[in-house]
Amino acid sequence: MLPIVSITLFLPLLGALLIMALRKTSTQAIHAIGIITSGLTLLGSLWMWSRGVNETGFAQLEELDWMPSIGAAYRVGVDGISLPLVLLTTLLFFLTFIYSAKVKERPQAFVVLMLLLETAAIGTFTALDAILFYVFFEVSLVSMYFMIAGWGHEDRQRAALMFFIYTLLGSLPLLLAILGLYLGSEPHTFDMRVWINNPPLDGLAAMLALIAMLFTFAVKTPVFPFHTWLPAAHVQAPAAGSVILAGVMLKFGTYGLVRFALQMTPDAFRDAGIVILIFGVVAALYGAFAALAQSDIKRLIAYTSVNHMGYVIVGVAIAALALDPAIRATALDGSVLQMVSHGLVTGALFFLVGMLQDRAHTREMDAFGGLLKITPILGWSFVLAAFASLGLPGLAHFPAEFQIFLVTLQVEPAAVIVILGIVITAGLYLRAIGKVFLGEPNEKWLAMSDLNTREVLTLAPLLILIIVVGIAPALVLDMIHKTTAALQF
Amino acid sequence: MADDLALLIPEIIVLLTIVFALVAEMLHLPRIALAVSVTGLLLAAGMTLPLLGADTSVFGGTYRIDTLSVWAKLILLPATALSILLARAELGGSDREGTVYVLICLVTLGSLVLASAGDTMLLVLGVLLSGLGSFALVAYPRDDAATEAAMKFFVFGSVTGAIMIFGLSYWFGGSGSTLLSELSLLDTKPVIAAVGLIAVIVGLGYKAALVPFHFWAPDAYEGAPVSIAAYMSVVPKIGAIFAFAQVVRDLPMDTHWPLVIAVVSVLTMTYGYLAALAQNNVVRLLAYSSIAQAGYFLLGIVAVGANPLAFVSIIVFAAAYAAMNLGAFAVLMRVGRTLDAFSGIGRRKVVMGIAMVVFLLSLAGIPPLAGFVGKFLLFGAAMDAGFTWLTVIAILNSVLSLAVYLRIVVPMYQQPDDATAPAQTAAPKPEPLITLVWIVAFVFTLGIGLAAQPILGQIS
Repeated sequence: MLPIVSITLFLPLLGALLIMALRKTSTQAIHAIGIITSGLTLLGSLWMWSRGVNETGFAQLEELDWMPSIGAAYRVGVDGISLPLVLLTTLLFFLTFIYSAKVKERPQAFVVLMLLLETAAIGTFTALDAILFYVFFEVSLVSMYFMIAGWGHEDRQRAALMFFIYTLLGSLPLLLAILGLYLGSEPHTFDMRVWINNPPLDGLAAMLALIAMLFTFAVKTPVFPFHTWLPAAHVQAPAAGSVILAGVMLKFGTYGLVRFALQMTPDAFRDAGIVILIFGVVAALYGAFAALAQSDIKRLIAYTSVNHMGYVIVGVAIAALALDPAIRATALDGSVLQMVSHGLVTGALFFLVGMLQDRAHTREMDAFGGLLKITPILGWSFVLAAFASLGLPGLAHFPAEFQIFLVTLQVEPAAVIVILGIVITAGLYLRAIGKVFLGEPNEKWLAMSDLNTREVLTLAPLLILIIVVGIAPALVLDMIHKTTAALQF
Repeated sequence: MADDLALLIPEIIVLLTIVFALVAEMLHLPRIALAVSVTGLLLAAGMTLPLLGADTSVFGGTYRIDTLSVWAKLILLPATALSILLARAELGGSDREGTVYVLICLVTLGSLVLASAGDTMLLVLGVLLSGLGSFALVAYPRDDAATEAAMKFFVFGSVTGAIMIFGLSYWFGGSGSTLLSELSLLDTKPVIAAVGLIAVIVGLGYKAALVPFHFWAPDAYEGAPVSIAAYMSVVPKIGAIFAFAQVVRDLPMDTHWPLVIAVVSVLTMTYGYLAALAQNNVVRLLAYSSIAQAGYFLLGIVAVGANPLAFVSIIVFAAAYAAMNLGAFAVLMRVGRTLDAFSGIGRRKVVMGIAMVVFLLSLAGIPPLAGFVGKFLLFGAAMDAGFTWLTVIAILNSVLSLAVYLRIVVPMYQQPDDATAPAQTAAPKPEPLITLVWIVAFVFTLGIGLAAQPILGQIS
């Protein structure tokens, strides 16, 4: 059997090394290598999809000794929770490379960093060894720091520094929890499968480990009040960086919440379930209200991410609190699907804002008006993505959020107040569309050009998938459900 | 006796190297002295390999040939060779050039004695041997800054050395022996054990630059040639840390020595990084960073006796620290001593820039680099020994450390200002020796991070 997980994982790294080896190459050739490498990676992940996942446990395992003396090994594999996220990752990176083919400023370093980031992201989702997971988790941080610091907007140095220090501070407690789980497992191992099948800690130790992990993933997700790095990083990051940050890297937080917190300290998670649920509800509502207050369109989308990730937290908390396995499975189905949908929708929205900014060099909503007449393709694409983001039935977010709300109503009816978030997001998106795309065209932008072929190619797959997932969520849900239905915790 | 000498072959080679290099210097052949020292050191390292796995001692238990001692040679001898190459690049052509190599080898011999000490007298010998050579090395440039630095260094060293000898006499009185292995006899005499312990912390703390015995370090590093600062931040420091491990492994637990050392560790890490935050001179910044890193070593020391991970973690981190710190100093030698000199260097010297970023992130403990593996093992050892609170503080300090190291990384990728641009167009002339050193250090910083198993497997 071809080790397709490892091939997919390390292809981008190989591409990066190739570019570094070719010191003097034309900008086009560098971007071509980036697009081809990420395209092959996408094919690799599709191949993984065609191999499918197992009813129980992880599929497509690939193992290699690494540091046997301390029980660490190279272990990768996928299940129904990680595989959809891998697919999302490879797709978004591929599209980002197409979109970024316009980058003229130090293209070599840009593409190398993006490819490094892609390997780190795939690695985070496929790692089955805690050290390996932590390595990829941190490498992604370093690459993103250089991405924001090197190609960001006006205030990039400060934003990049804030992002780096904030998220490093966030990720170090995870190291503590990993050490605790390691020392608690007998014999000592970093094998995540062993920790999942046989949670090594209980009682107070498990609760402390859980708190450490929750802190890490709350910063990463981000959950109010640990979200302050997000708007700064998003606004300053280049469009490609924003897409990856929101579409892929925020999922590290929610994926970790399920994989580590829920699966490795399940009892403690159940005990703390209500608190986590409250954090989720507050994050969802806070994100929506904060988004309402923004006039910068990129900040607005950044805050709706806080809102959407809040729903994921609610879903995971409900899964822990529910006693009926069917409800649990549905709650997790909804949460994982929500991660995928958010990647597609927010990815599209950040691309669109990037394209808008390339043309207008501003992100202030009030500066625009009537763009639907001037740039219809851009305008209608934005309308579609925005409607998806506010949870319109038939588009990607609806099936996910519907499932989450449904189980919330069954398990903790009071928490359904979170549904208010939908109303607010609907309001703020309609306001944004009204200001930017409707009304009388602003004279200043009459000469604005509509999307070119490269931009259409970037957007089309996302918009199509938003509709496909909205109409036929079973395409993704079947894979997710296979794993969630069998989860024991 | 003959068996004893066979176990000492590496040390004997170093001693012969010193003699031959000194002869070459007396004949005014500094190049020969250079060649002799580097070859001798590498040969000694090579001759250490057959000793891997040994756990014995020579000369009636006073000199130990164990895991710590063997790995000290495997780490310190190549690190010394690299330092000598740096010294050649910086001081080559000056008069008395060969004496630098001789003194460096002598200090390394003292550090090896420290790391292998099985007897309090050898501890004293090691401190003196490495100390005397270091004073001379710091004073080498013979300008005001160097003289002042050497003076501070010397006065500080004399006082702490005297305190150490005084305190060690209590241990001798209490146990009736100078052997470290007899220290367990002190379990009924806690006061005597404590006095001796404090003396050792003073003496070795000075060598390893632990807070509050660190005051000499930033001045000495700044006054000394950069290559000497690089050397002193690595070799004598690691020797002293290993000596610490040799001492505490036999110390009775009821003196609560782990707690005392844990407190020193917290002070050292926190003070080192806080002070580093305020530095604009990169040499001083790295000096404070190396003080803080010594605090991390102590996480492994507190676990000595509690679990087998302790020695493993100290050794792995020592190897990692030697590679990344020498690498960072080597790049510093190429670029310059001020933060301004680093402005935009990452854009002009791409590969060297990447290497410097790797060294600094490794010092901050970012995976998958060497410093991460070392610190990770240290954290594990301390947690397993019940020092979770210490691990938490160490982790918080890691965040602080990132802020410190980013102070160098951030300007490296800044667009150089127009005002400073003309000064920087004069690119530093290529220095193949320095380049060689940072490339070797780079390979090891990545290699230990990704493939620590050869070291781990050998130790356990």
